Amino acid sequence: MLGLLNTFAVATYGALGASRNYVAVDGFLLRLFGSSLTSTNSYLSGMPSQADWLLMVGLGMIVGGFLAALITGTLNTRAVPRLWASRFGASKPKRFAAAFAGGFLMLFGARIAGGCTSGLVLSGAAQLSIAGFLFGASIFATAMPTARFLYRKKAS
Amino acid sequence: MTTTLIIAQAASDTVGIVGGTGARALIVGLLTGIVFGAILQRVGASSFEMIVNMLQLKDLTVMKFFFLAVAIGSLGIYTLDSVGTAHIGIAPLYLLGITVGGLIFGVGWAVSGYCPGTSLVAMGEGKIDAAITVFGGLVGALVLALTWDWIKPLLVDPLNFNANLPDVLGVKPLLVAVVLTTAIVAFVMYLDRFDAGRKPAARGSTGETPGPATRS
Repeated sequence: MLGLLNTFAVATYGALGASRNYVAVDGFLLRLFGSSLTSTNSYLSGMPSQADWLLMVGLGMIVGGFLAALITGTLNTRAVPRLWASRFGASKPKRFAAAFAGGFLMLFGARIAGGCTSGLVLSGAAQLSIAGFLFGASIFATAMPTARFLYRKKAS
Repeated sequence: MTTTLIIAQAASDTVGIVGGTGARALIVGLLTGIVFGAILQRVGASSFEMIVNMLQLKDLTVMKFFFLAVAIGSLGIYTLDSVGTAHIGIAPLYLLGITVGGLIFGVGWAVSGYCPGTSLVAMGEGKIDAAITVFGGLVGALVLALTWDWIKPLLVDPLNFNANLPDVLGVKPLLVAVVLTTAIVAFVMYLDRFDAGRKPAARGSTGETPGPATRS
């Protein structure tokens, strides 16, 4: 189903992607606060100054997550995932710090590489780009040992 | 290939606009996103547990789903391409930046349990830590933008090729797509058996029941 949607996206407007929207939203926020960085910064100046198709995809993903959860009765306002709590305790600040750091590293890395799981792996690899396969291999190369290290059950 | 590249350039012009800003583009984009988000939510990709268990090879549901999506997507895209209607934009291949960026990304992925796309979906579901991940992402993207002038000559400019697999192999893209799809389907079927063999063991060691009950 996701493959068909991806095909539909490429057929209509372009490949799906998520990480570019973070920089685009940064640009919008900076503009809102009257910063001139959007014209002086070499990276931000390459971002759109108005809503485009891809930004609406990002917005739609939030709405889609909400609707799917609403309809299936799986809306969930928990702050700390159960598996996290079983390993690191129920402390909210601790989980929030990790969630923040994770997001920071992901987007920092994704923007160096030029895409994320959706843009480079899902769409990129489907378009047979070598960049997509290389990025896919790289993210698993660190994500798997990190997950193993962080969430391994203590021997009991 | 030339025709598709021209179309790709038209689809994402110089001011960074992807897919256009017309009312139709915006509406189709929103609907595409809603379907994308809903699919990710239903398959469990926006669940911290599902991702972390996948990374520990305890539950490969999401991984199998993604592999199949890539396979079907590549078949679909290159079938369209052979008819000449696809907006294909091949990502530039700069070995250093993509590898280093990917390695950094992987750590963040495992720590947060979300990726940049699924954190949006999870935020829509109401998960508060996912909203924090999105906020962290905004800051991370901003820091990258501010340091881009240093990072680009170091990681992006050197070893920069622009090629996809069919270009390098010198064969028709649709053929590569067919071969890739066959390989992925075979691999997923193998994973299925692997998963079926592993699941009872994983269940026993974690004391959790698989499926929706383990998602939170």
